[in-house]
Amino acid sequence: MVNHGNIYKPLRAKLTDVIEESPLIKTFVLVPESRFSFKTGQFIELTVDGIGEAPFTPSSSPLVTDTLEVTVMKTGYVTEYMHNLKPGAFMGIRGPYGRGYPVEEFHDKEVLILGGGCGLAPIRSLLYSLEDITDKLRKVILCYGSKTPKDCVYKPLFARLNKINKFETYRTVDKPDDEWTESVGVVTGLLNKVDVTIENSIAVVCGPPIMMKFGTIRLLEMGYKDKQIYLSMEKNMSCGLGKCGHCMMGEFFVCKDGPVFTYDEIKDQPNIWS
Amino acid sequence: MHHLIINKDEWDKALEKLLLSYTIFTPADNEFGQDYELLRPEDVSRIIYNKPKPSTPLKTFFLPLKENVTSEPRHEKQRIIMGIPNCDIEGLGLPEEMYLNGEFDDVFFQRRRENTILIASDCLGIQEHCHCLSYGISPYTAGKADLALILLEDKMVIRVITGKGEDLLKDVNHLMPLTDNSILESIERKHQITGDLLKEKNKGLPDYATTGRLVKESGPAIWKKYSASCVSCGACTLICPTCTCFLLIDKPGFEKIRQTDACQYPGFQRVAGGEDELHELHKRFRNRYMCKYVWKPERFRSIACTGCGRCIEACIGRISKNELFMELV
Repeated sequence: MVNHGNIYKPLRAKLTDVIEESPLIKTFVLVPESRFSFKTGQFIELTVDGIGEAPFTPSSSPLVTDTLEVTVMKTGYVTEYMHNLKPGAFMGIRGPYGRGYPVEEFHDKEVLILGGGCGLAPIRSLLYSLEDITDKLRKVILCYGSKTPKDCVYKPLFARLNKINKFETYRTVDKPDDEWTESVGVVTGLLNKVDVTIENSIAVVCGPPIMMKFGTIRLLEMGYKDKQIYLSMEKNMSCGLGKCGHCMMGEFFVCKDGPVFTYDEIKDQPNIWS
Repeated sequence: MHHLIINKDEWDKALEKLLLSYTIFTPADNEFGQDYELLRPEDVSRIIYNKPKPSTPLKTFFLPLKENVTSEPRHEKQRIIMGIPNCDIEGLGLPEEMYLNGEFDDVFFQRRRENTILIASDCLGIQEHCHCLSYGISPYTAGKADLALILLEDKMVIRVITGKGEDLLKDVNHLMPLTDNSILESIERKHQITGDLLKEKNKGLPDYATTGRLVKESGPAIWKKYSASCVSCGACTLICPTCTCFLLIDKPGFEKIRQTDACQYPGFQRVAGGEDELHELHKRFRNRYMCKYVWKPERFRSIACTGCGRCIEACIGRISKNELFMELV
């Protein structure tokens, strides 16, 4: 935990680079004023000074502690300000908060990852972690969907992953352009292409709520058990401390108990997909 | 726990002396009823004892409506809050569990809590919407305050509950151990009378656990019906001794203001993408009861509704949760 004694005080971090991933998505490279470590899947509260803060799961490797990358889609008040920030600006970081991916439970498993849109941000961090333990995994399959080829984020990532033994990636878009040679259609369609031994597999789903819902339904149809499906939930995590109440999902505080849950843990809670 | 007794005029003198070292808040009558006021030496003899709850819940002494939480906590004079009904003493349990959970302690809450002595007051009599006993809370404090008071004509009987309470009394003159059993019996009779009034008033009202089950099993119709006159003002949550949701507001210089928020306000759970599971009024309205009677009991030891009845009094839509619960039975 940063800033011992005051849980609300952010750690300052200098913005050193802004990478344009797509027309609506940018990755912010931050250098915190003191080393900052997190577990993959945990989230931070990122402050735009004087404007507001919002929760994001870092998209960088948890093994790197001197810089931090956060991938942000322009979708609301705070993120609009973030997108206007230039390198040199200072931002604030609180966290890390919550429960991330239990990577050690993925050992000896085939890891099937379903990502949609900006939901690839936490997954990229997870992929870095998995890369580090490739020898302990059976297989990593990444299925990613976005609206158009322009909206596909982390373009170099896919080429790099495909070169790694045990990793395979599939991409699809809703609306292709003339140059698109990969799949077309919703991301769940990619699941027909993958060769996976379900009983020895776990699935990770992260993306917009509608994609998470239909992704989970499809995985259950394929034979995945509730406990084999890991979801990264998107709620209004405001304080990150299990106090402010904004992210309550039934009895759970998503900020403390999540944001990563198995479907089994939350399936009986109300409105998990909204 | 043991009992002490002192003449009322000696007790008043003791308070005047305590005022030299402590800030004291006590209930006082005002044009709206009864509420906590800062005690001045000239008002000591006018303090109200043993009337049911003040308008303001105890939580506001620990969680102000608005506070800069990135500043250094201020050093404040030690304070005594006096005349607290047991519903509020019990109601402080949930904020304590949430704000001092060992993992993320709120230093502002912590300093104030450590700096405060709680003096409870047994309720002799009830208000229209009091229903503590229905949820297993007595109208007199058994063990969570530092001291508890009951005024019997010209004598003040003090139950000493904690070491902090005991220490406070160490310089008070003319305190005597209570040895007269007839006084204790008289107190017991008074407790009994308040208990009987509560039972009579709330006949048929389901207990806390049953209410939770009923709320959980209910369909949307009843929430639509009862929320018809709700204007999402959030008065029920503001006045609730256990509701402590807040908003963090950013100010330049990475400062953050913690401001009381309410799940009854539109957009409370809206995410940046626009999804909002509490968009509809009847869902927000039900959310509050699910939180208090179903979800919080799953997570915390302390009760999330003390039966103080303030939310019923405060509602400008004249919504009575108790009428709703009676209909669910």
